Amino acid sequence: MQSHTILFGNPGNKRTTGWQQALKHHKQPAALEVPYIRLLQAIRAGDRLIDLLDSLIWRHYNQHAVHHYPSDLLAQPLALRLDAPGENTAVERGLIALGADDAEGLISDDLLPLPEYTHGSTITAAMARRLEPHHGRVFYPAQWFRGYCRLLSWLRLEVQRDLSHGRWMNDPAEAAIMFDKRRCSRWLDQAGIRVPGVLAAAYEDMPGSYDSLRQLMEQQRVHRVFVKLFCGSGASGVIAYQYHPRTGAEIASTTIGMEQWNGEQIIYNSGRLRRYTDHEVIRRMIDWVGQEGMHVERWISKDMIGDMAYDVRQLVCGEQAGHAVVRLSRTPITNLHLRNKRMLLEQTDLSAAVRESIRMTAVDGLGAFPGSFCAGMDVLVPAGGGDPLIADVNPFGDLLYYVQHEGLGAYEWELARWLERK
Amino acid sequence: MEIKLSLDFDAYEDGATLTPLIEQLAQDAEKSQSLTSLVIGDWGGAYEESPDGFLPALIEASGRFPNLRKLFIGDMSYEECEVSWINQTNLGLLLAAYPQLESFTIKGSTGLELEPLEHARLQELIIICGGLPSTVLQSIHKAKLPELRKLELYLGVENYGFDGDLEQDILPFLYNNPFPKLTSLGLKDSELQDEIAIAAASAPILQQLEELDLSEGTLSDKGAEALLNSEAVRGLKHLNLNYHYMSDAMVLQWRSSGVNVSLDEQQDLDDEWRYPSLTE
Repeated sequence: MQSHTILFGNPGNKRTTGWQQALKHHKQPAALEVPYIRLLQAIRAGDRLIDLLDSLIWRHYNQHAVHHYPSDLLAQPLALRLDAPGENTAVERGLIALGADDAEGLISDDLLPLPEYTHGSTITAAMARRLEPHHGRVFYPAQWFRGYCRLLSWLRLEVQRDLSHGRWMNDPAEAAIMFDKRRCSRWLDQAGIRVPGVLAAAYEDMPGSYDSLRQLMEQQRVHRVFVKLFCGSGASGVIAYQYHPRTGAEIASTTIGMEQWNGEQIIYNSGRLRRYTDHEVIRRMIDWVGQEGMHVERWISKDMIGDMAYDVRQLVCGEQAGHAVVRLSRTPITNLHLRNKRMLLEQTDLSAAVRESIRMTAVDGLGAFPGSFCAGMDVLVPAGGGDPLIADVNPFGDLLYYVQHEGLGAYEWELARWLERK
Repeated sequence: MEIKLSLDFDAYEDGATLTPLIEQLAQDAEKSQSLTSLVIGDWGGAYEESPDGFLPALIEASGRFPNLRKLFIGDMSYEECEVSWINQTNLGLLLAAYPQLESFTIKGSTGLELEPLEHARLQELIIICGGLPSTVLQSIHKAKLPELRKLELYLGVENYGFDGDLEQDILPFLYNNPFPKLTSLGLKDSELQDEIAIAAASAPILQQLEELDLSEGTLSDKGAEALLNSEAVRGLKHLNLNYHYMSDAMVLQWRSSGVNVSLDEQQDLDDEWRYPSLTE
């Protein structure tokens, strides 16, 4: 049977066009694309999702002679696909505005995983909408995340209200949990999934500054950690930090860059790994992460392939492990575009047992999220041959290039799993 | 058979040491006989402990490992310990305790000494580090290693312990080579890589070398040009220039030069700062 899809995303980007191609490949009707920017406008104006969808369908019928979906689309069985909001300046500004204290519209923080710990730097909604694009700059991450969770909450409630027969591929409520590294780590841990140990025993113990981080590290006699901006994606906002317990020397490896610009401290993602050893610079950087929200994990030494450390991005859909990309690096941070290598799991000389245990760990990890059909699981194998751990769960981690599984690209395989489910 | 002994952070925190592991291996009749290669990884807190803790046991055990030919002290990745933070010690006595050894690899240079450096059979000496002190370079240059075939030295940068002088500590390996059987020489991972390349291009040692390794440093077109124009470089079986700051045009020239040269990992030429590979 054919099923219809509503795709919440940014039209024209690789994700949206890729999913449309996957639908075509499986001879499914094209998805109705619902741009994030329209969702943001609807929330602000107090409009209903159902009216937005009706108007998109109506416009499609007026503008196109060939119709990709029926006029009664919304009465059909529906798959609801939520895709990433990223790489779109207007959407980024809109989400920061939606996360503002003075944001307008039907707003709820009920999906914000840790509201009492999500207070970073703030600006007003009006100022957020006027933010000048600044390549690579990281703007108000905690406020952005609050805005994104508000959007997810609105979307989820609107669907419950008017489209209750629609089936989310990934429940927005779980996407919000995955996105907050602090919450996600504990969520997995409580489900019995192995994750890198966190330093803070409870949320209230999470460090909010360089000084409190150092205090926590010294208390626990841990001198190597991963400091992560709680809501960053990929390598963004991740710092591999260590200090020498005898000499006090410090090293922070990160893609974060800092600059003074118009008298203001600018934090940006430099796109390449930098190594900082200057105490004052490291302090300022960690203070910034602490202000926005800091997740701190013990630095698990990664297993090596040759002279490079690796981790694995393992796609899991419908309780099956699919595409796997091994990311190798001579630096502590593997998920960079520059200077790192990739391999397929089958190309490595890892034993069949290790490969299977990577796949199983990933499948079990996503099992902790019963409302999520598919995610990209970052699996880490410790040096010295311990059991793999889940380092990260990426709700939009299904965009994998140049890799096939069972003869299919990632999206095509994901869709095949979705269509065959009971 | 190769065996690796190491301790992870948790074992070290719990007070474990490498000594009992070495003793167990020495007492294992089968393993101790078949052991040809021993790799010592992290001995536990290598950032604050030197090998002095386990060295007596390893020296003591030498008679138990009659077939041991390869020894590696400090095989740990940056995931376990920053290379510039690894504490070494004087490994000269250890080497002397294993007269059958053919290959010796050391990682880390903080506190490293090699006194005395005399060995009748050693064919391979490799030191991987972020910065090699001039005292060690001097020890190696005056060493008595008549069988040495391969010498590979990561020279590194000042920040991480390199305090050598090009003329006094590095060029002697090219112009006054003390190892008659040497066929493979690596002077690599250096911030003086261009100067070393220029000196190497016309060095007498090229006559006896099969392989020259100038990889992992800040080699640019300047040093590469000298190598490319050297007749003696064409006599090499292999030239290793991996990890470099050469231009695309220079890489193309190499490709059509007929020299068997490795050119992987071209670095970003627009980078404000240029670093050798093992210092970033």
